[in-house]
Amino acid sequence: MSRLPVPARIAMGPAVAALVGLAMAGCDSGAIGADVPQSSGQSFVGHSYESTFYKVGQRPTAPAVSGTTLTGQRLNLDAYKGKTVVLNFWGSWCDPCRSEAPALGQLARQLQPDGVRFVGVDIRDEPDAALAFMQNFNVSYPSLNDPNDQIALEFQSTVPPAAIPTTLIIDRSGRIAARIVGASSYSELKDLVAEVAGLKA
Amino acid sequence: MTTAKDDAMTQAPAGEEFRVAGPDLAPPGDSAGSGADGSRASGSRDGRPRESRPRAARLGLVGWLRWFWRQLTSMRTALILLFLLALASVPGSVLPQEGIDPAAVTQYYQQHPSLAPIFNDLSLFNVFSAPWFAAIYLLLFASLAGCVLPRTFRLVGSARQKPPRAPSNLSRLPASASYTTSLTPEAALDSAAGLFGGRRFRLHRGDGWVSAEKGYLREVGNLLFHIALLALLFSVGLGGIWGYKADRLLIVGQGFANTPTALDVFHPGRLVSPSDLQPFSVNLLSFRAEYVTSGPQVDQPITYDAALSYRAQIGGPVKHYVLQVNHPLVVDSVSVYLIGHGYAPVFKVTDGTGKVRWDGPVPFIPVQQTTLTSEGVVKVPDAQPYQLGFAGVFLPSAVDEHGQLQSAFPGPLNPRVSLVAFKGNLGMNSGQPQSVYSLDTKGLKQLPVAPRPLAAGQTEKLPDGAGSITYLGYQQWVSLAITYDPGQLPALISGFAALAGLILSFLIRRRRVFVRAVAGPDGSTQVSLGGLARSDAAGGFDTEFAELSRLLRTEHDGESMRASQIGDGTVDGPADFDDLERPQPTDPAAADVAATPANADTATAESAAAANPETLTGLEGE
Repeated sequence: MSRLPVPARIAMGPAVAALVGLAMAGCDSGAIGADVPQSSGQSFVGHSYESTFYKVGQRPTAPAVSGTTLTGQRLNLDAYKGKTVVLNFWGSWCDPCRSEAPALGQLARQLQPDGVRFVGVDIRDEPDAALAFMQNFNVSYPSLNDPNDQIALEFQSTVPPAAIPTTLIIDRSGRIAARIVGASSYSELKDLVAEVAGLKA
Repeated sequence: MTTAKDDAMTQAPAGEEFRVAGPDLAPPGDSAGSGADGSRASGSRDGRPRESRPRAARLGLVGWLRWFWRQLTSMRTALILLFLLALASVPGSVLPQEGIDPAAVTQYYQQHPSLAPIFNDLSLFNVFSAPWFAAIYLLLFASLAGCVLPRTFRLVGSARQKPPRAPSNLSRLPASASYTTSLTPEAALDSAAGLFGGRRFRLHRGDGWVSAEKGYLREVGNLLFHIALLALLFSVGLGGIWGYKADRLLIVGQGFANTPTALDVFHPGRLVSPSDLQPFSVNLLSFRAEYVTSGPQVDQPITYDAALSYRAQIGGPVKHYVLQVNHPLVVDSVSVYLIGHGYAPVFKVTDGTGKVRWDGPVPFIPVQQTTLTSEGVVKVPDAQPYQLGFAGVFLPSAVDEHGQLQSAFPGPLNPRVSLVAFKGNLGMNSGQPQSVYSLDTKGLKQLPVAPRPLAAGQTEKLPDGAGSITYLGYQQWVSLAITYDPGQLPALISGFAALAGLILSFLIRRRRVFVRAVAGPDGSTQVSLGGLARSDAAGGFDTEFAELSRLLRTEHDGESMRASQIGDGTVDGPADFDDLERPQPTDPAAADVAATPANADTATAESAAAANPETLTGLEGE
């Protein structure tokens, strides 16, 4: 990468982490983003390494996001009120997204009769590549095009997508009930969705 | 000059015994013994040979802890730690650091395959988060805190105390003067008190004497310096806990938001969660780089301008900024620096079925700084019937040199792309993250395409009905460093405060002036003055004393002035003015050092007594 002369930036901050008594154990914390492969140039994680379930009453309200889908339609998340929504942040360039795509496509079709709707948010992608991805993995649900991360940003104050892929499960009242960071597996996602939607396993 | 003081620091406060014993108990010959060797003089081990305490021979656990604490809080240790901190930062500027330039670290690994893992184990690629760095930092912090707190209490205590009584024989002080006046002793002392009080000396008046003292700001400055140093360390720490650093590569025409999924590299502080990130968005409107076109500086960059539009929050007003090197965009206390740039050739890839599978810029990474020859890959994992991959070289100013194509200039005078095409399995569907800047050729087959440099608009047709790739032109990209450091302003303020404290402590000196007035046999009054200053590095006490005595004499209309300024009016070295400096020498051996200032002829127990309020009680015997 071409480097321009930069003012010396003092970067001793982490040293002070020791103040809170953590540093002596080595400095790779489990903090989100810390174990993102650094040289990859993109922030994604290889596997699901964090899944969180929020109890009823502790669920943050999902922002009312809207936008244009990859196929050019307007889509408003509000229109899904009353349904359980699986919101998947992905990109065609992201390897873990590719590995979880078949499971998501399958679950989307399988849970359709139960009132579960899947919506994708395509991040940092080239539209032709994204459409090719959807065609290739037989993804039938719509994806919002989010080239400038505005939809991801709207979730920032609630349950932010911490890496790509991130999957949020939004309950029928429009509250975020669960989050999976990293590639979700068929069974993991199915169990979580069933719990949120109140389906029998 | 510091060794004796350090020793003084490491010694146990034993003021109570000392006050009773008085300084004359200390044999003069012993003063050398408590000199340089810190461990010797330290604590209760053998620093007090004349005290036959049973525990003097052995140190218990508590004794060792006390000893350790005194060592840690000594000025010598603090200085060593400060030096170590500076030394430990050196690898951070010599070796590439992961937090600042991960690509350079990767490069270092390739260039030094045997050395790099060792360096990595020693945290040399992450110096400022290394455990050993934290250890130095914490020890320095503890050392400073352990020094500053007791001193602050002592300053407050001594600021409440009155100046000591005047010694009986003022002529034995480093600076002295005497004369006779026709005023009564009371009146003489009254006017002396008035003179000193008017000059903001602190006064203590007794029967036949006045003591005046000035210069507490020196210690205040000294403390300010230490506290500011602590604050500086603490501020830097703030950044590590609540600050974060991130990098993002941004192509002209594209935008991003300050959210973890949009950042290429994200180093959050310990207590930073993704929802803490300031919700700004940035769009890169254009980028312009200018280079020197001739002369010895040819190929050197002149200016970089990145025109941005940004919003501080979702739905906030759109603002504009021209980003330049060292002129970061500051939004919501977050700084966005321009740290790099490069080219992103634009490709259009059509697969074997005739469908467009990629149509956009792909950032290439410069491999040669001077000419910006750049390399990159294009991955088309959803092409049919085969996945396609391309490894390319971008030459901004292509020239043919001896049959080999090279870039002659970093500017885009003759941009060309040369590609090698692959088909097969890119290895992207396994879920194993791979770099977007490299091609895993394990499952790929290179296509027999004669390499030729493509100009904008030229298409390379792929064999086996795999499709085609068209080079459409280029875009430029910038790499941005996003840093949020809440400790920055406090660190700046602390820096200035430390400087102010240092200046104060250098310019101001503690000094005492004493006046005694006694009625002579002939009805006149004999007035004697004495004064001393502590570590009069800046000089000037002699002048001040002379001025004071002249003024007083004039006021008293005194006669037969005798000014005997023996020495320079300064008590040097370990003779702490009082207990304000680091822990005072309170055991007899150290007090003996105090009684041996530069001028041996004037240095009596009395001058030492004047220097130390505690000893005064024993001497005066009042």
